Amino acid sequence: MFLRRFARPSSLMMMAKVKETTGIVGLEVVPNAREVLIDLYNKTLTEIQRVPEDEGYRKAVESFTRHRLSVCEQEEDWESIEKKLGCGQVEELIEEARDELKLIDKMIEWDPWGVPDDYECEVVENDAPVPKHVPLHRPGPLPEEFYKTLEAVMGGKLDGALKKDEPVIPATSQST
Amino acid sequence: MERSEHGNSSDTNTDCPFQLLCFLQLHTYTRVQVSIDICGVDHPSRKRRFEVVYNLLSTRYNSRIRVQTSADEVTRISPVVSPFPSAGRWEREVWDMFGVSSINHPDLRRISTDYGFEGHPLRKDLPLSGYVEVRYDDPEKRVVSEPIEMTQEFRYFDSASPWEQRSDG
Repeated sequence: MFLRRFARPSSLMMMAKVKETTGIVGLEVVPNAREVLIDLYNKTLTEIQRVPEDEGYRKAVESFTRHRLSVCEQEEDWESIEKKLGCGQVEELIEEARDELKLIDKMIEWDPWGVPDDYECEVVENDAPVPKHVPLHRPGPLPEEFYKTLEAVMGGKLDGALKKDEPVIPATSQST
Repeated sequence: MERSEHGNSSDTNTDCPFQLLCFLQLHTYTRVQVSIDICGVDHPSRKRRFEVVYNLLSTRYNSRIRVQTSADEVTRISPVVSPFPSAGRWEREVWDMFGVSSINHPDLRRISTDYGFEGHPLRKDLPLSGYVEVRYDDPEKRVVSEPIEMTQEFRYFDSASPWEQRSDG
């Protein structure tokens, strides 16, 4: 009994707060999340080198991956990483990083690069008023690095095509 | 691409929206992981008469997007079952109702029509009452389908005004 009373406070002070559960069904707690994230982000940065330079996709991925990597390297424990990035839990970040790696592979396989500079994506603004009884699903505020990423992409381009549309919807240049 | 208060919808003219949907599902800033619905629209006056509409939801960013592609009767679209497993039934429905089939679909069968039904109901050229009617035949002890016999001519209701349309006023 005395041993237990002395042992417990010191162990609490040594470890950072251990996350008990993510609160999401099917998503387990990853205890070494920071190392996993740093590893995944480094892998992403090397993989994205295979995408041709000057593509919006590459700029976007590099921008947010570098930001997230720098935050992960500065902060020591998962709680401060989560708070600083503002992008949800570290397990979700790990999932996002893994999916991004898969996506880079697929994009290189499909090869949608090379949209001509004068390709205009027709944006139709529909100003028709919505009736009052219809609920408008307003999305929540996006994390600030999204806007920084958008700036990083649009900074070099003149026609300012959205980073989603630019590599993926060329009408004639997709062969499949 | 249409951006409006009603929601964002994007029109692509590729035959394979599969790649666009995979991108939308995996990319970090467009985490669209749920496919709400896949349906079709028939515009008989256009050359590529069917429009396949994918309604998608991103739970991470709380936003919806609608992707539309066009197809004609013989175009086969690629199935999006691998990114979105729930799309299996939607695609079966699009095949059943419109006749827009998928290449390499894991399970392409009819889903809403009767077992021996010929034709694709939601096309604009199939009439509202169909071509066959079914009835239970007691001597044969089974359900038979026969060409349709309507006792009343088809009545057209103009719903613009609830009052009876009269010329004398």
